[in-house]
Amino acid sequence: MTRKEHLINLGYLAAFLAVLTVLPSQFSVYITSFIMFTMMYVVLALSWNIISGYTGYVSFGHVLFYGVGSYASAILVADHGWHWVPTLAVSALVGVVIAVAIGFPVLRLKGPYFAIAMLGAAEGTRVIVTVWDGLTHGGEGISLPNVENSTETYIAMLLLMVATIAVSYWVGHSRFGIRLNAIREDELAAEVMGINTTVYKLAAFALSAVFPAIAGAIQANKTLYIDPETEFFILITITMKLMAMLGGKGTVIGPIVGAIVLYSVQEIVWIRFPQAHLIAFGIFLILVARFMPRGLVGFWIDRGWARKGMVH
Amino acid sequence: MEKSEVRSIYLLAGFLVFAYALPFAVGVWTDSIFYDRQWLADLATVALSGLMQGGVYAMFAVGLTLIFGVMRVINVAHGELVVLGAYLTWVMFNMPEWLGIDVYVDPLLSMVVSLPLAFLLGYGIQKLLLNAVVGGPELTPLLITFGIGISLVNIVEWIFTTDYHTIPYEPDAIHLTASIAVGKNKVISFGMAFLISMSVYIFLKVARLGKAIRATAQNADVAMVCGINIYSIYMITFGLGAALAAAGGTLVSIQFGFNPETGLQYTVVAFAIIILGGRGNFIGALIGALMLGVIENLIAFMVPNGSAMVEIAAYGLMICTLLIRPRGLMGAKEG
Repeated sequence: MTRKEHLINLGYLAAFLAVLTVLPSQFSVYITSFIMFTMMYVVLALSWNIISGYTGYVSFGHVLFYGVGSYASAILVADHGWHWVPTLAVSALVGVVIAVAIGFPVLRLKGPYFAIAMLGAAEGTRVIVTVWDGLTHGGEGISLPNVENSTETYIAMLLLMVATIAVSYWVGHSRFGIRLNAIREDELAAEVMGINTTVYKLAAFALSAVFPAIAGAIQANKTLYIDPETEFFILITITMKLMAMLGGKGTVIGPIVGAIVLYSVQEIVWIRFPQAHLIAFGIFLILVARFMPRGLVGFWIDRGWARKGMVH
Repeated sequence: MEKSEVRSIYLLAGFLVFAYALPFAVGVWTDSIFYDRQWLADLATVALSGLMQGGVYAMFAVGLTLIFGVMRVINVAHGELVVLGAYLTWVMFNMPEWLGIDVYVDPLLSMVVSLPLAFLLGYGIQKLLLNAVVGGPELTPLLITFGIGISLVNIVEWIFTTDYHTIPYEPDAIHLTASIAVGKNKVISFGMAFLISMSVYIFLKVARLGKAIRATAQNADVAMVCGINIYSIYMITFGLGAALAAAGGTLVSIQFGFNPETGLQYTVVAFAIIILGGRGNFIGALIGALMLGVIENLIAFMVPNGSAMVEIAAYGLMICTLLIRPRGLMGAKEG
């Protein structure tokens, strides 16, 4: 890709961000928090994409990092009286440590086994969090001190989204990303070419765990109440997976488009029909997996509606 | 019987002895052992009811392992099919009362209707959604069955809400001795599971269609060359797997509470079992199911606050197996 194309992409991004920075002062609390959660899902979908889109290790349990991050932050704020901003760093650290600890054994598995092992890891963590009363307050959840911080959390989420987009863009254009792609296409061949696949997979996994952990922490400080059922809700994993796949996995713009489209549809239309919405979700997943394996963005490129340089 | 199958029986016997001996070892170590009659009897009861529970698990696992063995597809919606079977049984059990007719529908008898229905559902899913993607990238069928699972759970939830249900069935206990007792419903369900899995086993070994299924599992290309329509075999296999799951659902409904959300737990249990037993291995799934049943009950018995730990047992077992012996107890060497 040429330098010019990089600059054009940067221009689009800057315009997009400028609009987002001005928005909260213009609109109601409802719209602001709607945009904040859209940004959160952009972060989640992009993070999932780093391990699953580029490296090909499809995770069915990514909510694990989100939940762990939100718990780390909530415990520090509610029980130890920290200000919420420094807890984000702790959440990130916890996310990375857990990603390495889980990834080391689990990344040895391939394909479906990795997927299901992650599903198991996420559910197992939920059970542990529920049982470990002393640290996590068990099933009754944690209530955070009531402070008005919707503007601050909005800004934090915006910065996090910028960081995630930047890192994803870097992954998509660096040797690191190319090596991850090599692992996806043929792990054995990648190893023969001299790529230390274990290290690269672990690095990608850790990278894809950091952002959800921070996003979870910001979310906890926005909603001010968390419990194991909502923080480790399997639907969050499904949502991020579906968003990335809908937009087009293995690209940068794909998960962003997918997250915005899907979250808007979800918020505007489906939320009025809770049960039908989940049924539609399942059917949607089937249709996307079956008929649109390259996602919306791939679909657009095939028809010449999008510039190729915009995608990667 | 093949040599490996004979060996598997030794394996199971060895495991049961170990499972009965382990609490003593732990007891000696922590100095908390009780040599009185009551404790020994309790332990025997726990081991026995674990075995009975393993029979139910076998129903889930056998269907999953069959589908995996033939198509290399992991059916993530398997637990939801179990729940569907449980609801079908529950509906048929309560139907006469809702209609105001004074008839008793035996839950086991309802399988006559629910199994063919589940078979048709599985057959249809395979025909419409999965046949086109078998043999392609491994993850596409995984995502599709995942989607089926979510839709199914929420359809069931929509109709029946998330309330827990159970069917009161043969609540008396059978006393082996004065102090060792097992619920009659558990014994019946174990017998039923044994009967069903044995008939499936014999079907696979003896019947022409069963042989065709095994041939497809061994090598789909060669099977096709020999004149087997592998796609119709795929549909029959998925149907059979779904029917076995529904049978498991019936057995669940007469002894445990269930609601639409319990499906995921059954999927993980079944998956852990086929990992433990060896993927695609029929006998391995049976042995693994019995072992998991016993392990879960022992944990609940020995660990204080154990009921939550039981949920983790399946995950732990699965991850340990994958790390220590990835091909499972009875699995063939790969590559």
